[in-house]
Amino acid sequence: MLPHATLFAALALVAFAGQAATVGVTVSDAGGKPLPDAVVMLEPASGHLPVSPMSGVQIAQVQRQFSPQVTVVTVGTPVAFPNNDTVRHHVYSFSQIKTFELKLYAGVPAAPVVFDKPGIAVLGCDIHDHMVAWVVVVDTPLHARSAASGRAQIDGVAPGNYQLRVWHVSLPEGASPTSTTIVVGAGDIEQRASLGTTAQPK
Amino acid sequence: MSERGHWWQRSIGGRIIVLFLGLLLAVQVASFLALRASLAEHAQRVLPAKLRAGERLLQDLLDRRAQTLINGARLLAADYGFREAVSSNDAETIVSVLANHGARIGATEVALLSIDFKLRASTANQTREFVPVIERLAAQSAASGQASVITLRAGRPYQAVLVPIRAPLVVGWVLMDFPIDAQLATDMQRLSALDLTLISRASSSDAWSVNLSTLDNVSAANLARHAWRDSNGDDATMSSVTTQGEELGVRAKLLSLGREADADAGVRALLSLSVDEAVRLPRDLQLALIAITLLGIVVFAVGSVFTARRVTTPLRGLADAAERLGHGDYATPMRGMQRHDEIGELSQSFERMRNNIAENQAQVLKLAYWDALTGLPNRAQFCEALNRAIVAAPPGGSVAILMLDLNRFKHVNDVLGYRIGDLLLVQVAERLARQVVREGDLVARLSGDEFGVLLRSGDAELALAVARRIEQSFHLPLVLEEHRVDMGAGIGIACWPQHADAGDALLNRAEVAMYAAKGRSNGTLVYDPSVDVASAETLTLIGELRRAVDGDELRLYLQPKLSLETSQLVGAEALVRWQHPQRGMVPPGDFIPFAEQTGFIRALTLWVFEAAVRHSRTLSEEGLELVLSVNLSTHDLLDQDLPQKFEAVLTRRRVSARAFCLEITESAMMDDPQRALATLDRLSAMGFKLSIDDFGTGYSSLAYLKRLPVDELKIDQSFVLNMQADADDATIVRSTIDLAHNLGIAVVAEGVETLQIWNMLRELDCDQAQGFYMGRPMPIAEFLLWSATWSAGRKPQDQGQDQDSAVLH
Repeated sequence: MLPHATLFAALALVAFAGQAATVGVTVSDAGGKPLPDAVVMLEPASGHLPVSPMSGVQIAQVQRQFSPQVTVVTVGTPVAFPNNDTVRHHVYSFSQIKTFELKLYAGVPAAPVVFDKPGIAVLGCDIHDHMVAWVVVVDTPLHARSAASGRAQIDGVAPGNYQLRVWHVSLPEGASPTSTTIVVGAGDIEQRASLGTTAQPK
Repeated sequence: MSERGHWWQRSIGGRIIVLFLGLLLAVQVASFLALRASLAEHAQRVLPAKLRAGERLLQDLLDRRAQTLINGARLLAADYGFREAVSSNDAETIVSVLANHGARIGATEVALLSIDFKLRASTANQTREFVPVIERLAAQSAASGQASVITLRAGRPYQAVLVPIRAPLVVGWVLMDFPIDAQLATDMQRLSALDLTLISRASSSDAWSVNLSTLDNVSAANLARHAWRDSNGDDATMSSVTTQGEELGVRAKLLSLGREADADAGVRALLSLSVDEAVRLPRDLQLALIAITLLGIVVFAVGSVFTARRVTTPLRGLADAAERLGHGDYATPMRGMQRHDEIGELSQSFERMRNNIAENQAQVLKLAYWDALTGLPNRAQFCEALNRAIVAAPPGGSVAILMLDLNRFKHVNDVLGYRIGDLLLVQVAERLARQVVREGDLVARLSGDEFGVLLRSGDAELALAVARRIEQSFHLPLVLEEHRVDMGAGIGIACWPQHADAGDALLNRAEVAMYAAKGRSNGTLVYDPSVDVASAETLTLIGELRRAVDGDELRLYLQPKLSLETSQLVGAEALVRWQHPQRGMVPPGDFIPFAEQTGFIRALTLWVFEAAVRHSRTLSEEGLELVLSVNLSTHDLLDQDLPQKFEAVLTRRRVSARAFCLEITESAMMDDPQRALATLDRLSAMGFKLSIDDFGTGYSSLAYLKRLPVDELKIDQSFVLNMQADADDATIVRSTIDLAHNLGIAVVAEGVETLQIWNMLRELDCDQAQGFYMGRPMPIAEFLLWSATWSAGRKPQDQGQDQDSAVLH
């Protein structure tokens, strides 16, 4: 069954490839304010779109901060942690999708960390408690980040049913991204996503 | 209290001391009480504030402790290994890391909470107990990201803290609780000097139990029972609990509500302090007060004793001085007069009193012991000196006295007057004094013309020598103004102890000797018992006489008085006779003179008057209205009460005074003419007739005759008896009659013993006659018979001579 279903979905996508739509999602908080840097992703209601790991992704440590703070990668993407500071850092994650520890180091650790499970990993530095970074590991090629206006745009979306998932750092720790089912037809879609949070830097 | 009062009431000194010390103690007690009250008031103000401050301190301690615990917990929660273990999702690992890391900072129990405060793991067996705590902690941590509460778990108070686990975001919470141990109370006590007691109960149905306390168990338990209610914020309330006999001020602070969030359960902190201790005087102040009191008592005691002495010593001195005055010592001057206070004034008053008394005493002594006229000692002093001499006489010693009576002194007085008589006495006194030269011997005027000489340690021989000198001194006539008077004296001598063993008796002996000497015309006579027989008899006689008056032994005889003109019976002279039960009829001469000497005559006179009054009534009843004559003596005349006594008798008998004639001798008046005259005037005014008895024998001047309220003269019988034989006597009788008649005075002749004399008197115009020729004195029954006979014209014949009567008058 499953190969057929997958095939069907793939056929469907192919079938509609020529008529791919653009999905715009405007993310706002509970007060209606646009939330920038929200991660928006579309997952087909059935089936799975193939994703390939990204390359060259790095989360640097600059002036005792992770940079960038929020990183979106696809499953299997290796992430490097170059330390640009003169002090050493001890980067760790106790997150379920990826638990790792880069013990005190300077420079670039020998091996990048490969995030091989979708989800959200929260990264910290054991000797700099204020340092925090998020790695959002997505298992779909359809994802984008909202601009300052709170709008994220995903192009080339084949018609079909999708789960629209939105995540923002202001969501509670450990919370999953919100999930909404949308139907993408031939035309572009403008979608609104409201998160029951207020944008607050963590 | 005894009748005499307390000891201190019996002396001024005691009172002063008690007063001083009492006042001091009162002041001390008052200041002590004031201090106590002030301390109590201060405590009421200060103690609640202190407790309030203590409460704030406790809160601060708890906060600090909480912060310390939180910090510890935070560190722990940030431990990488801990976080790693907690993230492992292995329940067993998680519990073990909780226990392990909790133990590091002394937490009793540790629990892991999810980020939404769900209990994920716990070291406690009874996780249920954490639930209410977690709720409270969660509520608190929402605001500050951390929390600390005090909880009651398994009956013990805990301080529970909640801290987040960051990885690096908050991924969960760690709850740790720590027992509240005695350290808190110790710290509290050390910092605030307050006692801290923690009590708790899970619900209001349980009893409070003491979790920890710096107080002893009993007090803590009492506090738990009574003082768990919260104090309200900053108010000044302070509960008061008395435990173990000590009052504690208590303030309760709510640390935790009960299990059901009920306010009357949970955990309370009780802060307490001793009210008594705060009210109590500080020890050094107590000691200072005691020291001041003791010092004050000593100072006051010394001061009051000194003051008391200042007052009582002179008072005691005055008391002693008064005592001395009481005993007759007026010589010692007062002390303390130089003082300027009341004591000084009192001393001066005492001194004035002493001087006055001494002066008065001297005056009294002078009056009592000295003769004013001659300046010689008087009889009293003489007697005392005599007695002293006798007492002081050595064994075998002797004392002699001379008693001296001037001859013819009365004559001098009568003839030359009293002034000359006084001069004479003064000169005699001087002469006597010159004869007695020995130291300690004494010359005294004993009475009228009687002098005494005391010779200490003198015997009869010495006395005789002195007597001779005295006699010789009288050989020279006395010159009294222009009169030259020859003076003689009878001298009696008596010696102690030969003649008498006491002073009084010795004086009597000397007197006896003196009278004997005078009687025998012998100048000086030493007492001899033989001369004294009569006097002894006399003494007995007077005793018996007294009995006679009471014992109805006296009889009243009447001798008729007749009118010469008509031969009618007109009166009678009342004469007393003594019917002695053993001796028979005692002659009047044997007792009348002694009665006069002793003054007993007054009793006798009164008896005679009463009897005469009785007889007057009897005669009156027989139809005889006669004037009865009663004799008065010198003593009677000097008796101021005599007129009253007579008056009383007359009133009682209802007889008029006009029925009586009172006869007085010239000499009777001479001792004190003024008083005698006054008495006579009163008697005359009462209605008595007055008669001069024995007229012609005295030395009275005719001037008296003129002045006296006299009704009749009685010519002395010596003239009448001799008028037959002696022409001179006849002339005297005649002249007297003429003189009397010229003065309007009736004349009575006594001693009419013959018819010839009767007739002669008739011829001389004499008014009345009295004598044996007509009738002798006789009892009333006989008198009545005589009267009847006389009236019948039968003149009684053969009348016997009555010698007694002759002697009498």
